Amino acid sequence: MNENIEQDLQKQLRKEAIRRNWNLFRQSKLGMIGLYIVIFFLFLALLQPFLFITGIWNKGVYDPVVGYEAIKDTLLVVECPKEYPTEKYESMKDCPGPGELNVKRLYLAPGVEVGDYYETFIQPAPPSSRHLLGTDSLGRDVFSQIMEGSQVAFVLGLLSATLGVGISTILGTIAAFFGGRVDAYLMRQSDLILMLPSLPLLFIISAFAELKVWHLAIVLGVLGGLGGSVITIKSQALQVKVKPFVDSARITGGSRWRIMFSHVLPNVAPLALLFMVFSVTGAIASESVLSFLGLLNIDMSWGIMIYLSQTDGFIFSGLEFWWLILPAGLAVTLLAGGFYLVGRGLDDVFNPRLRKR
Amino acid sequence: MGEYIIKRTLQMTVVFFLFLVFSYLLFNAIPGNAFSNLLLNPDLPPDAYNRVLELYGLDKPLFERLQLYIVNFFKGDFGYSYKSFPKTPIELISERLPRTLMLFAIVNIVSFYTGFFIGKILAWRRGSQSETWITLTSVFSYTVFYPWFALMMLWVFGYKLGWLPIGKFLYPEKWYDAPFDSDIVFSSMIKFTIVVSLIQFAAYLATRGIESLSSRRNLRFASLIAIFIGSYFYWNNGAALIKKPYAADIAYHMILPVMVVTIVAFAGTALLTRTTMMEVLKEDYILTARAKGISQKRIRDRHAARTALLPVVTSFIFTIVTIIDGSVLTEQIFSWPGMGQLLLQSVLEEDIPVAMACFSFVGVFALVAHLLADISYSYLDPRIRIKSQG
Repeated sequence: MNENIEQDLQKQLRKEAIRRNWNLFRQSKLGMIGLYIVIFFLFLALLQPFLFITGIWNKGVYDPVVGYEAIKDTLLVVECPKEYPTEKYESMKDCPGPGELNVKRLYLAPGVEVGDYYETFIQPAPPSSRHLLGTDSLGRDVFSQIMEGSQVAFVLGLLSATLGVGISTILGTIAAFFGGRVDAYLMRQSDLILMLPSLPLLFIISAFAELKVWHLAIVLGVLGGLGGSVITIKSQALQVKVKPFVDSARITGGSRWRIMFSHVLPNVAPLALLFMVFSVTGAIASESVLSFLGLLNIDMSWGIMIYLSQTDGFIFSGLEFWWLILPAGLAVTLLAGGFYLVGRGLDDVFNPRLRKR
Repeated sequence: MGEYIIKRTLQMTVVFFLFLVFSYLLFNAIPGNAFSNLLLNPDLPPDAYNRVLELYGLDKPLFERLQLYIVNFFKGDFGYSYKSFPKTPIELISERLPRTLMLFAIVNIVSFYTGFFIGKILAWRRGSQSETWITLTSVFSYTVFYPWFALMMLWVFGYKLGWLPIGKFLYPEKWYDAPFDSDIVFSSMIKFTIVVSLIQFAAYLATRGIESLSSRRNLRFASLIAIFIGSYFYWNNGAALIKKPYAADIAYHMILPVMVVTIVAFAGTALLTRTTMMEVLKEDYILTARAKGISQKRIRDRHAARTALLPVVTSFIFTIVTIIDGSVLTEQIFSWPGMGQLLLQSVLEEDIPVAMACFSFVGVFALVAHLLADISYSYLDPRIRIKSQG
């Protein structure tokens, strides 16, 4: 009976703490903006499988990697005059006008006369009601690619951040708790990882290993987890270690591991959560950079979309093909920024010196 | 203090040896290189085959090769580049490094000042409408997908408006009848920049003690104008006059990369300053200063911003570590022939000696910067300084 009451009380206290922290978080405007952005992309990531399963989207048309739809366009064949200006065209730039096609372009299609209508496929096609963000140069739906990219970003970001923060929290606590040689070794290891230039290191790794999303997440997670965050978490754990409740736990006979995991770790957790949110930003950026340079073995991601639009030569075509250039770049920026803002909001919650009142 | 520095240096030496071993093993794991491609050639005569094996120690076990590598590293002997054969990696690096350092030194100084200034104001105006918007813009430029942003800027300024060149270090057609090569001009530009920044820094130090904020600002501004006049005379007289058009060409190519990287880089400093400044503004001594009736601007600039500067300076020193790291993308996009491009190309082309030399060089660079950061931090932070004394 007594135990039940105690459990209820604990549950209530926990609920209370969550509610209080949520209220604090809600006060920071920027944190809320970040949260909305993250939720929006999470929605996009979950929407795509839903659309495929319910059959609203046909896999053959909307698949981000192998989908294809030929969008037909009918053009009027005209002959451009030799001298300008004429009645219809002011200068050479105006011919052929919209919906028209110069007959000289059709020298490979015999039998087409001036005044006929000629049917062509347009790729990349501009946005329409069927394809909200148009199609790319291979006739694939850009909106579906954005959704696939956000799945990749979430899987990679969250996986690598969880792994990294898990490693650094445990190592940091161990370093703070055991001290001596263990501490010295772990600190030198962090120094070493901090010294390694991260991008060139990833280039070299991608030179001898075919990196998929999973592998990249593990590499980024381990590198992030062994690096500088161990030092910060260690200093936090050192502060917790000298608190009176740790002493009383020791006096009542708690073993070292029990004190570490059930007393010190929960107190380091907020800082770890903060690290996690910030390292998601870094992981998303690293993935995009690597796929932008064509070093990853991934079917589709935001970085690959930009890589393709650059290698196909659309990035210098200006805003004529904006649906190939803007959505992917903005998506990377917005999601990374969203996670950053959430991190800032959490910082306001966990760091009492940052609060307004 | 001295003890701390010695201890830290010893630790860093150990770490550096670990780094050498690790980087050798890493490069060793890359399958195939120009040697093995050469050795697979069936037309290779046996004595040449043996000579290649012997020269690079390829027939020895891993541990001996590793020893050889470490010994050669301290001799400064990295062999020869595979792709640009007669040159050694050291020559390539010494040719490329000044370009990277020049570009990023300017970027770092400019972005540090703008970032600190903006962050100071952001924290001061906490909660206002303009604070939210400026913070959002800073976060945007902090997290923007850098290659994409750089390409867009290149498109706008280089192609659409046509104001600035699209990448590259110089226009080759302007250099056909140049009496000297670009490195000589560039090194005189570097000397000029160093002298100018030293003068301005000295002016800052000299005016530090002046109490009145407005006269201090005026004096600093006057020194800036004096530098402008001085540099005008320098470039229009004597030896520098011949170099002027060529130097101008290089400087013209530097504008866009400097601008783009600064836009991306200032935000980190601004956001960090914002956080530390907010923490400082909660301190009691700010309240005391307010109660004493000191003007708002003075509290902001002399009481709060000075304390908030400490972690920002430390993180600034740490960003020096990432100069070469971050230069990879910038130089690839702007075709700026510096260290980053050398590193990326040598890795992609499997030019292993150059890649290893670059990688180890970046390691040495990071090591020194870390050591400097630690020492300056212990000097700036009185808690560490006093603890190590007592």
